[in-house]
Amino acid sequence: MLPLPVLVRLGARSLRLHKLRSSLSILGVVFGVAAVVAMSSVGEGARRETLAQIASLGIDTVTVRPRPREAGPKAPAALPAAAALSLGRVVPGVRAVAPLRVAELPAEAGGRSAAVIAIGTTSAYRDATRLEIASGRFLADLDVDDRKRVAVLGASVARVLFPLGDPLGETLRLGGDWFQVVGVLEGRASPRGRGTAIRGRDLNRSVLVPLPALDRGADRQADGVDEIVFRVSSPEAVARAAEIAEAVVRRASGEEALEVIVPREILRQRERTQRVFNVVTGAVAAISLLVGGIGIMNIMLASVAERTREVGVRRALGARRRDVAAQFLVESSLLTVTGGVLGSVLGLLGAALIQAFAGWPTAVHPLMLATALLVALAVGIGFGLYPAWHAAGLDPVEALRRE
Amino acid sequence: MPPAPEAPSLVALRDVARVYPRGTREVAALAGVSLDVREGEKLAIMGPSGSGKTTLLSILGCLDRPTRGEHLFDGRRVEGLSDDELSRLRNRAIGFVFQAFHLIPQLTVAENVETPLLYAGAPPREWRERALAALERVGLAERADHRPGELSGGEAQRTAIARALVTEPRLLLADEPTGNLDSATGDEIAALLDELHARGRTIVLVTHNEALARRAERLVRLRDGRIEAEERP
Repeated sequence: MLPLPVLVRLGARSLRLHKLRSSLSILGVVFGVAAVVAMSSVGEGARRETLAQIASLGIDTVTVRPRPREAGPKAPAALPAAAALSLGRVVPGVRAVAPLRVAELPAEAGGRSAAVIAIGTTSAYRDATRLEIASGRFLADLDVDDRKRVAVLGASVARVLFPLGDPLGETLRLGGDWFQVVGVLEGRASPRGRGTAIRGRDLNRSVLVPLPALDRGADRQADGVDEIVFRVSSPEAVARAAEIAEAVVRRASGEEALEVIVPREILRQRERTQRVFNVVTGAVAAISLLVGGIGIMNIMLASVAERTREVGVRRALGARRRDVAAQFLVESSLLTVTGGVLGSVLGLLGAALIQAFAGWPTAVHPLMLATALLVALAVGIGFGLYPAWHAAGLDPVEALRRE
Repeated sequence: MPPAPEAPSLVALRDVARVYPRGTREVAALAGVSLDVREGEKLAIMGPSGSGKTTLLSILGCLDRPTRGEHLFDGRRVEGLSDDELSRLRNRAIGFVFQAFHLIPQLTVAENVETPLLYAGAPPREWRERALAALERVGLAERADHRPGELSGGEAQRTAIARALVTEPRLLLADEPTGNLDSATGDEIAALLDELHARGRTIVLVTHNEALARRAERLVRLRDGRIEAEERP
């Protein structure tokens, strides 16, 4: 067999003989690969976003809260703070339980203002959601017991309200009260997409204060909390813990409509959706590559017919059947691999446009590009086989006589 | 200088026939031909159209197999060889020159001449050098990087001869080598073939051209698939 570089050089030379025809013949493969690359980028983007959200929630963290009401201005019912205590006692493997009050409030400091998510909680919240402190300290038990007006700022809140100096020791106004800043959180990856399964909370935009210090207004129970967040010691125990927690909170609160958020479950659900998406992408890929491959086969058959005499000459000069077959197989593979490369570029471009205009996050898995090229190569070989076999089977005497 | 009668046979055909199916009938292109081509000989084959000249040349060139009869090349039986072995034999031992040159249009002159070396498994670094040496022999070295389309008929046929010679084959087969050339160019090609023969190459050529045929040592006339006459011009 001729060395591959020689075959590739010969193939490229032959294909260049009919530039337009060669270019047109690969369009099917180009668009097929482009569609698949673009779709896979969207899928991969969604997958990574889910992972980022789950990472920000914590894989072993469970949130229990009343289900948001369908409509109406009424806020969801609150849970009794005591429920948090029973959770800590009853749920197996529980590691930290934190009750939360949440309110969207304006914050002001030094003439700057920002809308923040004010979260009233306890010192356990740090462990429950794996918070890292960038500077200062977190809320302490004493702060909660004494209803101290201290605050820990999310990373972006600190940046916006105190762009110039160290916020530690400074004061800020949250709603109607003044708080002293005692700590700043480390910035963390935050969910940025829309319409996703998890409404993750952006902790970078929040201000944490002691639970009793957050004024919830007069319309709510004084000791009510909006959410209970807890973390269990092992990810395997999460599902069972969530079940028990739901029962415990239901009994303690009398509230039937509870929402229990288990990131692991959401991940599973997301994977099911992803599987459907993958099947659709795969079907699109198969159909477009089938169409592209038939185009390639067509053009290769035309090429063999047109170069029958060349085949005869090569056979006379000593080419074996398999040398002739290899030559045409390399030509069809060159066509589809070129199509694969162009299609990948086009697909990446398409993904960038989707991200820019539709706002869907996209991401490229490096394996996906390698797969696209391998599949293109396989299409070239697969649909080039028949033309190559046909060329190899030509009778040399007949082939030489052909005009 | 005629070869000594005891010169060994390079090719021997014994009662070779070649029958083609034509619809329901069978047509015999060759109907029992026995022929020896001796080492170093120059043999011309003449005959009217349809007399079986080209079929005979195809069989001599191991491109086609006889329907019956015996074909020996250098003492080896050809009938039993596989397709790959025939390809190898054509590659190493036989050079072809065609009436219509049959150069590959997308390749340069040098690349056309290199082609048999590709299939011979020669080391790639030798290809160009050997192709240029073959082109040198036919006086075309300066056209090495031209395309066949840029050559005159005489140059194209010289290229084809260089291609036929590049593997140093024992047997050179030429099918109407001057058929597509004007008479002056045809004479040049004929002179080139004479020169190759003088240097010891065994040549078999098929032609309609009486003058070209008369330059051979031996002339075989075919008619209806049989040898009608054998002459020594």
